[in-house]
Amino acid sequence: MSEVVEVFRRDAEDAVRIVSGLLRRGETGEAFRERRRRVSWTATEAGLLAPAFADERGTAVRLRRGRESLLVAREGDGPEALREAVREASRRAGGSPFLKSRVVAPEGADAEVSAPEEEERAAQLGAALHRALPDPRGLSLSLTVARIAVSRAVVTAREIVACGTVRRLEATGVLRRANAARPFAFQTSAPWAPALDALTRALSEAARPVPTHRAAEGRVDAVFSPGAASVFWHEAVGHPLEAEGGERGTVLTRVPRAAVAPAGVFVTADPTRGDLPGSYLADDEGTPARSVALLTDGCVDGLVTDRRSAGRASNGHARCGDFRRPPRPRLSNVVVSPGRASRDELLEACGSGLYVREISSAHADPESGRFTLFVESADLVRRGALGAPLGPFALTSDVLSALRQLHPECGDVSHPANGLGLCVKGGEGVAVGGASPAILIRGLTAVRGRP
Amino acid sequence: MSSGRDDLLERLLEGSRCDAEAGESAEAYERRGTSIELVEDADGTRLSVVAERGFALRLFRSGRTAFAASPPEASDRLPAEARLVLGRARARRGARAAGPVALDRAPALVPLAPPDEASARALLASFRSALVTEGEGAVSLTEAILTVGARTERVVTTAGRDVAFGSGIATLVATVTGRTAAGSVSARVLASASRPEELFLARLAHQAVDRALLPLRGRPLAPARGDLLLDPAVAAPVVGRLAPAFFGDEGDALLASRTRNGRDAFASPALSLVDDASAPGGPVKATHDGEGTAHSRTLLVSRGIAVGRLSDCAAAIRLERPPTGNAQRRSYSEPPAIGVTNFFVDPSRGVTPLELLRALARGFYAAVPLSRPEVDFASDRFRLHAAGYWVEKGRAADAVSETLVEGRLSELLRAVEAVGDDLKFVPSGSGGAGSPTLFIPKWKGA
Repeated sequence: MSEVVEVFRRDAEDAVRIVSGLLRRGETGEAFRERRRRVSWTATEAGLLAPAFADERGTAVRLRRGRESLLVAREGDGPEALREAVREASRRAGGSPFLKSRVVAPEGADAEVSAPEEEERAAQLGAALHRALPDPRGLSLSLTVARIAVSRAVVTAREIVACGTVRRLEATGVLRRANAARPFAFQTSAPWAPALDALTRALSEAARPVPTHRAAEGRVDAVFSPGAASVFWHEAVGHPLEAEGGERGTVLTRVPRAAVAPAGVFVTADPTRGDLPGSYLADDEGTPARSVALLTDGCVDGLVTDRRSAGRASNGHARCGDFRRPPRPRLSNVVVSPGRASRDELLEACGSGLYVREISSAHADPESGRFTLFVESADLVRRGALGAPLGPFALTSDVLSALRQLHPECGDVSHPANGLGLCVKGGEGVAVGGASPAILIRGLTAVRGRP
Repeated sequence: MSSGRDDLLERLLEGSRCDAEAGESAEAYERRGTSIELVEDADGTRLSVVAERGFALRLFRSGRTAFAASPPEASDRLPAEARLVLGRARARRGARAAGPVALDRAPALVPLAPPDEASARALLASFRSALVTEGEGAVSLTEAILTVGARTERVVTTAGRDVAFGSGIATLVATVTGRTAAGSVSARVLASASRPEELFLARLAHQAVDRALLPLRGRPLAPARGDLLLDPAVAAPVVGRLAPAFFGDEGDALLASRTRNGRDAFASPALSLVDDASAPGGPVKATHDGEGTAHSRTLLVSRGIAVGRLSDCAAAIRLERPPTGNAQRRSYSEPPAIGVTNFFVDPSRGVTPLELLRALARGFYAAVPLSRPEVDFASDRFRLHAAGYWVEKGRAADAVSETLVEGRLSELLRAVEAVGDDLKFVPSGSGGAGSPTLFIPKWKGA
């Protein structure tokens, strides 16, 4: 896959000429090429069941004129697919391009997938599952573990821009015990061996019996682990600052430059963090990735934008789930700067409350600011010390109250979050990441249950 | 999309070079599809036109299965890829290529008519107009996404199956914002059907208005004992979450534990559950599943008693029953898995919703769901977050902005006393889930 972006460049001169010939006065646009390779296994408590190899290749041609935009997508990522998509886009836009048929050198075959390498990986994955669940009695596992590599490039009227190749290991499914089912979601962009180790640890943790102790419903103060805090920042600050708020904006865009969080809180959307799953070199419109300040010193600062919302001033956050869908302003990696408090100091400051270890899913309404975090794993906090583990529950609040009630000191290390994986908006998922220190939020509302 | 026939699929099957004596068989699959997606939001209109073609191959050897998929340009590599780690997969009884079916059609992929852009624009305009009328100016459309698609599929196997079939899908996803003096709320509603003209726009607009305004106009209701009336919009997502219990032999243990090995009823005698790809009003209208098996009407729960299972070819062999035609392919690049077509509560013995409302002495009418219902079959719990109306003597006494209805799932299913005749579907998994209005008297937590 590492050579895929180079494959996209093989017809560079021709592709750029075709795209520039497509655009008429007052129009902007580009072509988008994608190749996605997915190797997955169905995993059960008995072992690896069914391997699946899937290769998807596609080309999209996009045109924008005023408030209208058009996308034409075809399967295939070579010159023929581009020509076919350009012909159709031009026809729909009222043009009639003359594309000379020229003989295109056939694309060199990809490096053959090596059987021993795949066998080795399958064996390593099987061993990792065995390490995670050494005694699966009483446990039923239904997981899909996938190794995914996605390469993308954008052909503009001037050049071919490589968006990069993103690789990740993903595992999703359910673990069942006699009287409880637990959803499991894991993602990492780490290399294969450390990724398997991380999966083993996460699975082993998830396989522990679900505690029967329940969180009391009502107002509660909660310390969030770095992984759980990343989900909070993504939902509470990230989504309301995507430039798609409609005519009245969102709960945060309605208060530009207002101090909504304690001084010293810095939150950025940073696709340049190569160690996190939401990274890329250029966005899906070919704008170079760059870090955007969302909260600066506790004040609302920037929005993540694409070309549709910001024109040439796009800050490189146009993202699409795949080549069939138009890009929209979406988050990448939400990164929060560390403070100076240790975890114990935050627990001490919390006094009595909860320590949230893992959030399995979350949703937010950017209009009203209400958000819900579904907590999969947490501990009681009593007199500043960790207590009994708790069964699943949900935490709700609204964005402005939660930020106002944020403890001024954050944890002293900003850790990457393993659990934050796929962000689904409008049915379209994009890989996202996060890094945050531990935080303490007061006055949240705990509600029993699980999604 | 290229509409001409070629022999890529036949070449793919030949390329698998199955050794029948060694217990090998293969299934080759082709999908062609076209779709348009029209998005309207505050920034303008986006039109996406997609044409695709993809291939997949499944190899079977002594109970082991491997899958590989690609677009046409890389399809010649699929046999080699599928063989790569076939030996590493665990064997499972029943995994083999399906044989011929009695009603195979001529193996021709009919070229599809591309979905119509002008009709799509007219449809969105109708929805916007219906929303304005229903919402009386308090509800605006933030974003509407209309997708209309059509596809043809073909399945051939080394065991002699050769089936071609077609289907369509239309989906409307709308994000609306309600604004009153009490604040603002945004909400998302969706509908799907096999054709755009079956999308029931007026009903979706009504649901969108309720979903956006009830949380602003009503008052929260603390859980209290009372009668419970679940609108189809609330009941159908719960019904949809029951479906995995009937997927082949996977849910056997769970179903057995919930019914004490069949000694207890699964639900009340008022409830019968059915999966039927030809159900009127259902979002799925298809003749065959992703393995080329003809769909059938499958009775899963008959008057409260679990009697059936949904199966693909492999599960049918393990269950020693004929396959029900429920192998679903979400895309050409994913292997088929058991799923629903139109899975619903049978309304044939139902009464009108008005009669059910009159029967409500004192209780809660759950009109719209405020979030996805929580249904945990393993722990036998459910939880609904809904808005609606407090009803006394059959009349709405107060609007309810939100309340929680929760408890034991088995108790809810066994407490349903009557069903309506107003079956409606919501999208669920690869198909649809449907329910009429459900009446549950004296529920302890509503």
